Amino acid sequence: MRNIFSYVVFLILFSFSYTIYGHHAFTAEFDANAPINITGKVVKVEWINPHAWVHVEVLKESKATIWMVEGGTPNTLIRNGLTKNSIKPGTVINVRGYQSKGKLCLPRCIANGRDITFPDGSKVFMGSSGTGAPRDGSDPKER
Amino acid sequence: MKNLVLLFFTLTFSPFNVASEDEHSDMHDFMAHLLTPASEAIWESSGYVITEEGEFSLEPTNEEEWERVLYGAKVITESASLLSIPSRSKNRNEWIVFAGLLEGVGQKAFEAAEKKDANALFEIGAELYQVCVACHQVYMNE
Repeated sequence: MRNIFSYVVFLILFSFSYTIYGHHAFTAEFDANAPINITGKVVKVEWINPHAWVHVEVLKESKATIWMVEGGTPNTLIRNGLTKNSIKPGTVINVRGYQSKGKLCLPRCIANGRDITFPDGSKVFMGSSGTGAPRDGSDPKER
Repeated sequence: MKNLVLLFFTLTFSPFNVASEDEHSDMHDFMAHLLTPASEAIWESSGYVITEEGEFSLEPTNEEEWERVLYGAKVITESASLLSIPSRSKNRNEWIVFAGLLEGVGQKAFEAAEKKDANALFEIGAELYQVCVACHQVYMNE
């Protein structure tokens, strides 16, 4: 019985070492079954390749949590109508996306962003196409 | 003895045979230790970090930092040849095309670094990522 258990553990570890290789794919880092819908103030923007990152401060019961939301390349965002000037720190945004597989939020929560909604109601796709993210209707190219 | 038999069955009948594991290890090491650090040298040398305190450029500020970009660009350029050797390309035409695109992007990054042109480097960084993603979409799950 112990040997069978060892065999199963070995198989699981062997499989896991294989899947780590796909570290760039959406499914390797984010959980398609953990959608997020957060609203908060932008506190920091990393306008960098290969992914822009928007840091959002979300207040819940007087407790502030910082969410680091991954977007597409800055060039992709510009083509979608999102510039570094439109998400300046202090802007309140709503973000829909998917949380990282690690959900401990230590030190920060991490998510893959799909779209951003601004206070005026305008919505912009902030992700990248072809990364393996769920076909949830956010990406205009998948329609 | 029982453990040896179990190990034999694991290695023989696991969905990942030894040959494909070797291939994935080779590409994993190639990406992790050569191409990814080289690409990061490009990506981390342009762009902005914006906070309530202001906007900070990531552009290199001294010769040493520009040298890191030149080195990364050269590694990317030369990686194309290393990816094209028969044991890696396996006569796959698209693979060779992607390697050629990588070489072109690496050359452009090198020229931009020589001119200390951070804006061009930013554009090339996006182009580099597109080449990476396009190739991964075809071959990453093979």
